[in-house]
Amino acid sequence: MSARGPRSTWFWFLAGPALLGFACFNLAPMAYSLWLSLCRYEVVSPPRFIGFGNYAYLFVHDPSFWPSVRVTLAFTLTQLPLSIVASLGFALALNQPIRGRGFLRSLFFLPSILPQAVFAVVFVYLFQADGGVLNGILGCLGIRGQAWTTNPAWALPVLVTASMWGFGYPLVVFLGGLQNVPRELYEAAHMDGAGPWERFRHVTLPLISPVIFFNLVMGTIGALKVFDLAYVFSVTQGKPPGGPARATLFYGLNLYEQAFGYFHMGLASAMAWLLFAVVLVITAVNFRLGRRWVHYGD
Amino acid sequence: MFSRPREPLLWMAVALLSAAGFWWAGRSRNPAPLPGKTIVTWYQLITPLQDLHREEAAAFEKAHPNIEVRIVWATGTEYNTKLKTLAAAHQLPDLFFAGDVWLSYLRPLMRDLTPLVRRDAAAMGLDDFYPAIRAAMQLDGRTYIMPDTMNLSLLYYNRRLFSEAGLSEPTDGWTWDDVVRAGRVLTRPGTPGRPGVWGCSRVEGWWGEWLIYVRQAGGAVFTADGRRCALDSPQAVAGLGFYLDKSARYGISAPPGFEPANGFVNQRTAMVVGGHVSFWLSYSATPGLDWDVQVLPSGPAGRPGGELAIAGYSISATCPHPEAAWELAKFVTRPEAIAAIVARGGVSVRRSVAEAAMRDLRRGSGPGNLAAVYRQFDYGEPIPHNPYFLEMMYNLIQPEVDRMLLGELTPAETGRRAAAAVNAFMANFDPEGS
Repeated sequence: MSARGPRSTWFWFLAGPALLGFACFNLAPMAYSLWLSLCRYEVVSPPRFIGFGNYAYLFVHDPSFWPSVRVTLAFTLTQLPLSIVASLGFALALNQPIRGRGFLRSLFFLPSILPQAVFAVVFVYLFQADGGVLNGILGCLGIRGQAWTTNPAWALPVLVTASMWGFGYPLVVFLGGLQNVPRELYEAAHMDGAGPWERFRHVTLPLISPVIFFNLVMGTIGALKVFDLAYVFSVTQGKPPGGPARATLFYGLNLYEQAFGYFHMGLASAMAWLLFAVVLVITAVNFRLGRRWVHYGD
Repeated sequence: MFSRPREPLLWMAVALLSAAGFWWAGRSRNPAPLPGKTIVTWYQLITPLQDLHREEAAAFEKAHPNIEVRIVWATGTEYNTKLKTLAAAHQLPDLFFAGDVWLSYLRPLMRDLTPLVRRDAAAMGLDDFYPAIRAAMQLDGRTYIMPDTMNLSLLYYNRRLFSEAGLSEPTDGWTWDDVVRAGRVLTRPGTPGRPGVWGCSRVEGWWGEWLIYVRQAGGAVFTADGRRCALDSPQAVAGLGFYLDKSARYGISAPPGFEPANGFVNQRTAMVVGGHVSFWLSYSATPGLDWDVQVLPSGPAGRPGGELAIAGYSISATCPHPEAAWELAKFVTRPEAIAAIVARGGVSVRRSVAEAAMRDLRRGSGPGNLAAVYRQFDYGEPIPHNPYFLEMMYNLIQPEVDRMLLGELTPAETGRRAAAAVNAFMANFDPEGS
């Protein structure tokens, strides 16, 4: 028996159950949803093949599809840079030899262990127009508050703010990256006359670029999939998901509503595959562009 | 390492183990029925009447020793998802909670109860159900739901706030002008230590209130044949206009987004147009809240019309023992069961129970003016029967209404945009006009 044979047997023996589970509970449902995306299926009656009808409807007729794309893109393009800059900034500060550093690191990470839904609930109460904390403070200052959570102009910025409290994960990743930057490089740069900004620009940033890239890719995927934050935000206010005036209708929320609110399983499957394709393309673009600015130390 | 003869055994072991896992995960957890007993599964929404449903199931089993009732509970948020998941898995319960708002959508899952209702009409007291309720039980002349609870739009008002403002209480025959007149007197700004009061609440985010005005102005969501959206009609636009004007023009309702939370319970809104009868219990349990109801005010069309919606029970189309399920449906909608619901603060769907409740001067909960409640039945208007009604209202129309409230659209533009969105939806997604 060749050396490969027994190893292969062991591989299949050990990985087989997991692969079987993956095939049954991931691959098979994915294949089925691909099929459903080509069907009209509303649960109460059998699926009916309609070709690319769902995709055509989404692109051309569905009044909620493009608004949900716009909301998701707006969120991604604001929340992601803010989150990366904020977490990198705090990571740099918490990487300094300051007293209570361990405590502060735990403190900043603490909100990240809470689900996003909790932030949504808390922020609704902080920002609600009548009786909310923010408007109460503004009122004390003689400033008339806004309907932060129910005005389309403000609802999304409130959600961006709420989501920012989850920056503990990228912060920890950045901290890990910063601690791997060799001290001697800073010393060498210092001896060459580099100031703090030059050291950050020419030593820190290139050496933590893989970590920035990682946070960027994961953050993009996470932002494109936002669901719980927006769902709880609406439900806490006793409003249908996505309001007011579709201002918080994220793509993931719209997908959920199509699937489990209106039971357009075919349409929702088409949306899921479109999201999958978009995430795939954006990640590929990220990797392609990453070659220009990510340094792996080789 | 394994020798070759052992490999097939190994694979068989893996396959057996997997099969055992699937069998274990998929097997029914419910105990088998006792010999000679029929099991009726009852899928029920969790409501404040949960204890009553349990008692009813126990009483039914006592009266029908050959039938065992198994209730499957679901919360409001998961109810429909779970029901349709069960439908997709061909595991529909025998009896399930349903409302007329879902009737046209869920009809493929429902058994046509018409033959059973006709057969047992006298015994079950079919005529005892109000005509408006009987109409709501049906779709295209066929009966699909046996009702036990209902909601009816009414004018709710705070008697103390009316008295303090020196106003006489609303009467049957009020119009929109009366609401505005009273609302202006009742509205007062907040001062330090004394929160402000709005004359009239406004329901935002769903159709509960604005649809009342649209209908009272003589408009409708759909044309009579149900094939097109009619929100761009002058009448519907007038109704939307009044909904907007309550804050924008008359100042009797809070600006959009500033509606006080639980304003009626907290006595910060003096009137509610529409409301929901399920709030009666909490209203009655709130210390210091002196409230009552009146028939809705009339709009330009001269009718105090408002929504009338029922909830009750349907038998699934695939139920293997419909007679047993039908017995249970009749049992939980018999006069005694409805009386128990009324005693807990509900509205009766049966005339006999309603009349008894109005005669009962000792009743502790609910509004004082029960007569107005049952008078409003005459003006109750069911929700349009369209399988996509909820989706069209929430997903297509409501965003335009939201924008109107925010001043981005006029009522006419709102009606036009909403109608265009719905008509495009129906043309593309529901070309058969189901």
